[in-house]
Amino acid sequence: MSDRALQDDVIRALADAPYRESAAWRARGLADPERVERFARFLARHFYYERVVHFFKYSRALAGVTGRTPEAVLTRPGFEDLVPSIVLGSRQTARAVAQLVVTHVGDAGAAIPYLGDLLQYEAAMMVVEAGPRIWRDGPEGKDGGAGSGERSAPERVEGTVLLELAYDLPVVLPQLLRPWSDVPQAPARSTSLLVARSPHGRVAVARSTDAVAALLRLADGRKTLAQVAHDAGLEVRELEQTLHGLVELGAVRFSTGS
Amino acid sequence: MASLSIGAFYNPHLGAELVRAGGIDHLAMADPPAAGDPHWPAIRARYTLLLHDYLGQLSEPLDERSIERARTLAELYRTPWVAEHFQCLHTVDGTYNLNYVFPPLYTEDFLERFVRNATALKARLDQPLVMENIPGFFDVQASQLPEPVWLRRFFEATETGFLLDLPHVWLEAHYRVMKPERWLARFPLDRVVELHVAGVEEDRDLAGPWIAPAEPSDQMLGFLAHAVTQCPQAKAVTFDAFSPSLTAEALFRSVERIREAL
Repeated sequence: MSDRALQDDVIRALADAPYRESAAWRARGLADPERVERFARFLARHFYYERVVHFFKYSRALAGVTGRTPEAVLTRPGFEDLVPSIVLGSRQTARAVAQLVVTHVGDAGAAIPYLGDLLQYEAAMMVVEAGPRIWRDGPEGKDGGAGSGERSAPERVEGTVLLELAYDLPVVLPQLLRPWSDVPQAPARSTSLLVARSPHGRVAVARSTDAVAALLRLADGRKTLAQVAHDAGLEVRELEQTLHGLVELGAVRFSTGS
Repeated sequence: MASLSIGAFYNPHLGAELVRAGGIDHLAMADPPAAGDPHWPAIRARYTLLLHDYLGQLSEPLDERSIERARTLAELYRTPWVAEHFQCLHTVDGTYNLNYVFPPLYTEDFLERFVRNATALKARLDQPLVMENIPGFFDVQASQLPEPVWLRRFFEATETGFLLDLPHVWLEAHYRVMKPERWLARFPLDRVVELHVAGVEEDRDLAGPWIAPAEPSDQMLGFLAHAVTQCPQAKAVTFDAFSPSLTAEALFRSVERIREAL
C-alpha cells in the first residue's frame, strides 16, 4: 500500500465510524484507538457544527422567538446516539443530523406559520450539499461532470431536490438576516424550489417551473431531449434553455456518449 | 531583527471596529471578502493584508482553477506572502473529507510530494510562499520522520518560508508531555517569516486542550516572547482567531497584550 493510500485510510477511519470499528482498520494498528476515537468525535462535532450553523442560519435568526438554536442538537443525546454511525459528508448522516435540528426547533411550538417550510428548506440544503465532490480538476481542466463529453441523454443528478412549499420563502429569507423587531412574514403562496449542487460542492437554489419539474421527472439518462420533450408535451427549444440552466446549477448532467 | 508587524485575522463581523482601530499593523484574510461587505474597501485601503485562505492540499498538485484563484486573491490583497498549510484532509477520490486541518504522514513519499507541489505553486506566484505547521493529536505508525526533521528538509528543498503556529507546537508538546520550549527548539526556526499565536481551551471530546478562537494566556505569550528570540527572520506576529463568536474586545485586547509581550 502506498503512503498516499495509507493517508486515505487514516482519513477514512476518522470520517467513517463503522469503518473505525471494522477488523480491517483495527488490524492495521496504525494509531492509538482511543486517541483516534476522541479525535473522530471532535471532528464530527466540528463538521456538523459548521454545516448546521451555515444551513440553518435562518431558523438561527429566529432563535429569539423559538427559544432554540439549531446547533444545540450537537451537544444533546440524539447526536451522541448518532456518533457510532456517522460518516462525515454522507447524505445519510446529513439527513439524520438535519432531522435532529428540524425536530428540536420545530417542536418549540413557535407561532411562525412558515417555520415548517423553513426547516424543510434548510434541511434540504444541508442534505444536497453532502456527498462526494471533485476537489481538483484534471490536467485538462475539465471535471468530467456537467456538460463534458459528447452530449446524449440528460440525467438528473443524484441528490437534486425539488421542494414543494406552502409559503414563498425566497421573499422572507433575506429579511430574516437583517435586524427586525416583528418576525418577518412570508406570503402564503404555493412555491416550488429546486435545490442542486455542482460537482465542486456549490449548492444553488432556483425557483422551479413546469418545464423544470418535467425535466427532473423524465431525465433518466436514457431518453434523449426530444423524447423528454415529447413525453412532457413541451417544445424542444423551450426545454433546451431550461436544460442549460439546470446543467449550470448541477441538477442535470449528460451521460457521456460511448 | 527588524520591527515586527503585529496583526490579527479579518473577522468581517468586526469590520466596523477594525476600520476605526489603532494598534493593528496587518490583517490576515481567511476568506475572500463577501460581495456586500461594506467595510471591505476601507479595510483594503488601510491595512497590509496577508493571504491565508485554503488554496488546496499540496499532497497533490494544485489545479489551474486553484492557482488562478490564489493569484487573483494575492493581487487583490497586495499580500507580501502567500500562506498554505501542511495538510492532507481529503481522500484522493473525494469520498472522505475531514473539513479540518490534518497533517500528512511524515514520510519520504509525502515529503517528495509536498516539495514537488509547493515548488510548482511557488513558481506560479508573484509573492513568496510560506507554509504553516499543523498539529497532530495522535502519531501514525507509518510516519518515518519526526515532524521537525520533515519540515526542515521541506524548507531546505523548497526555500519557502515557515509560518510557525505556536499553539500548534504548544499542543503537540502538551500531548507528548514535553516542555514546549524543548519541542520548539527542534523546528527550523531560522526559516520563520510569520508567527501565529492564540489561546487554547479544554475540549470535551479530546479531554484536553485544543485550538480555540480565544485570547492567549500569559503562559502562551511568554512562549511567544521566547519563540520570537529564536526566529531571526520573523517579520510578523498574527493573533490567530477567526470566528463569528470572537468579540472586538477580545481581538483588540489580545493584539495589545501580544505587543506588550514583545
